[in-house]
Amino acid sequence: MEVLILLSPLIAFLLIALFGARIGDMASALLCVLGGAFSFLFSLWATSRALSEPFSVKLYDFLPLDAYNLSLGLFFDPLSSVTASVVTFVATVIFIYSIGYMHNLFGQWTFKFYAYLSLFLFAMLLIVLSDNLLGIFFGWEGVGLASYLLIGYFHTQKKASNASLEAFVLNRVGDWFFLFGIVASFYLFGSLSILDIFARVSQVDKALLGLACLLLFGGAVGKSGQLPLHTWLPNAMAGPTPVSALLHAATMVAAGVYMVARLYPMFESAPESLRVVALVGGLTALFAALAATSHTDIKKIIAFSTMSQLGLMFLALGLGDRMSAMFHLTTHAFFKALLFLSAGSVIHAFHHHVHYIYETGRLKRYMPITYASFLVGALALAGIFPFSGFWSKDLIVATAYEKSFLWGVLVSVVSFMTAYYIFREGFVMFHGKEHFRHEQKEEPHESPSVMVVPMLVLSVMAVVAGFFEGWYGGILGVHKELHVDIAVLSVVVGLAGILVAYLVYVKGLIDPQKAYEALKPLHTTLKEQFFTERFYHKVLAGGYLFYSKVIYMTAERQLIDGVVNFTYPAVKGVGGVFRLLQAGRLNLYAFFMAFGFLMLLFITIFWR
Amino acid sequence: MTTIPLEAYLTLSLVLFGLGVFGMIVRRNMVTILMSMELALNAVNVLFVGADAHLSLVDGQVFALFVIALAAAEAAVGLGIIIAIFRLRRVDSTDEITDMRG
Repeated sequence: MEVLILLSPLIAFLLIALFGARIGDMASALLCVLGGAFSFLFSLWATSRALSEPFSVKLYDFLPLDAYNLSLGLFFDPLSSVTASVVTFVATVIFIYSIGYMHNLFGQWTFKFYAYLSLFLFAMLLIVLSDNLLGIFFGWEGVGLASYLLIGYFHTQKKASNASLEAFVLNRVGDWFFLFGIVASFYLFGSLSILDIFARVSQVDKALLGLACLLLFGGAVGKSGQLPLHTWLPNAMAGPTPVSALLHAATMVAAGVYMVARLYPMFESAPESLRVVALVGGLTALFAALAATSHTDIKKIIAFSTMSQLGLMFLALGLGDRMSAMFHLTTHAFFKALLFLSAGSVIHAFHHHVHYIYETGRLKRYMPITYASFLVGALALAGIFPFSGFWSKDLIVATAYEKSFLWGVLVSVVSFMTAYYIFREGFVMFHGKEHFRHEQKEEPHESPSVMVVPMLVLSVMAVVAGFFEGWYGGILGVHKELHVDIAVLSVVVGLAGILVAYLVYVKGLIDPQKAYEALKPLHTTLKEQFFTERFYHKVLAGGYLFYSKVIYMTAERQLIDGVVNFTYPAVKGVGGVFRLLQAGRLNLYAFFMAFGFLMLLFITIFWR
Repeated sequence: MTTIPLEAYLTLSLVLFGLGVFGMIVRRNMVTILMSMELALNAVNVLFVGADAHLSLVDGQVFALFVIALAAAEAAVGLGIIIAIFRLRRVDSTDEITDMRG
């Protein structure tokens, strides 16, 4: 029965892919939603069982060998089953929303979009539920493929196809590490089943285990868009907004954090590797928050905030606090999906022509529900009491201060910037001046209910999800006290960030334009992500292209073409010599015959 | 009866054969070339029969008969080809038939 969690999106994918053109886009969309919804129901049922007793489901023997039988299966424990429920829930809500968002494209082969979405969900569930590393790897590659297809969905736009390529290539770098991590784990444990690995984790060589963990973490870095494999994540915003929401909330980027949490006993046994995890996470959190403060693209700001929040989760994992990381991942899934759906609602209101926050403005008047849901999402992201982000982020802040004051300060600074940039976006879009008047005559309008209802559902979840903190800690077997002093500190930090954004962008205390002029070099540095993106594009990708061109001009054009082209004159020259013999004269042939006969005679007589 | 020495047969045969081959190489007329070939064949016949007389055998004579029959057939076919070419092209010189030139 539990297999149906995986099978329902897969069946939806197959049906849509095979018959989508016949049954139409609307039916495909409904199939996709149904697949997600059934998957959600089944995972709820599985969760209720897994909470009392973790259990495994064996699917089939993938590779029966004499020495080792590699069988694929599912493993349900509180961590995996709750994550599966959250993933399927958020995904289903986003699928429903996408019916409204993509409606203007219906009739243009949009069933493909829903096929990819179903495939995406299936692959993600494979990561979440697999009971061995190879199954996780299958899902891992599946998400990579589905994200490639979805980011490049508007494949006629150069930007989108480039972004999908970039996502695929950078993920491939991570996957390469991940694959070697799996090989290393197999070498160490002689098994790929995570239960076997957990049982033997204390018996193996620590140094090698640390290496294996770092390799596996390399995969997570690629998938979750952490430094230094981060540039694909903001560029992935070229895809349709529901894809961004799915990518950032429930699937793909969450996979990296989840994988580290899933294999946490391995990482715990090699504490050195956790230090790397914490360092990468902390740096990314700060780095992405800085980049988010300077961007003006509606979706990219939220994308950078995802990067930053994932960095915080990795930081928490690195500091030995799996529960807060996973709880933050859960609440983050709700409010980040909500933020993306609200942003998508704004974009939809402008008929998908608007991409920058300064092209909108004062939408509070026209889109009150979108405004409210964005506000809820932003408050949750900023970590304001009692929204869900407060509870989960507070756990991370507390862990960071417990470990060392420096980490705590880092997290507080990131929280401050988070509150600032998300409210900067909110204030510019929903308050302030109407910048769109000269572009568009008609007034923007609220989105249809098929989009609004999912936003409202997610708003409710973004508010209440935080109250499950104690329950979630309980099922993972961790109990954490709420530190009042730290809670007050983080709320004050968040409010301070909001206040700064309010003073600048609503009250106009500082003119953003003047500040921009004054701090232009700093702004450019932040916006270019400290020039990492430019470095990758120009130096790595450009250098590769240049190198290819050099090889093309020398090895290809000179060497290979030279050899190939030389065959013609060579054959022609040799043939030209022999051609003289074939003069077509009977007498000449008779002479050759006689000459040959004489030669043979000569040889037989004198060759001794 | 004075016996003719073997060297005489050999010399005659060689000269005739040489003349035949020379004729095939230098003459351009196709009928003449055919005649030169007959000459070469008969040179071989002379050699066969002469060797038989010297060695008191009959094998060579049998061969000679075969060669005569073969030469007749060959002459018939060869002449047929030459006539066919002549009808088609109105030429009888090998200089004019160089279609197989590479």
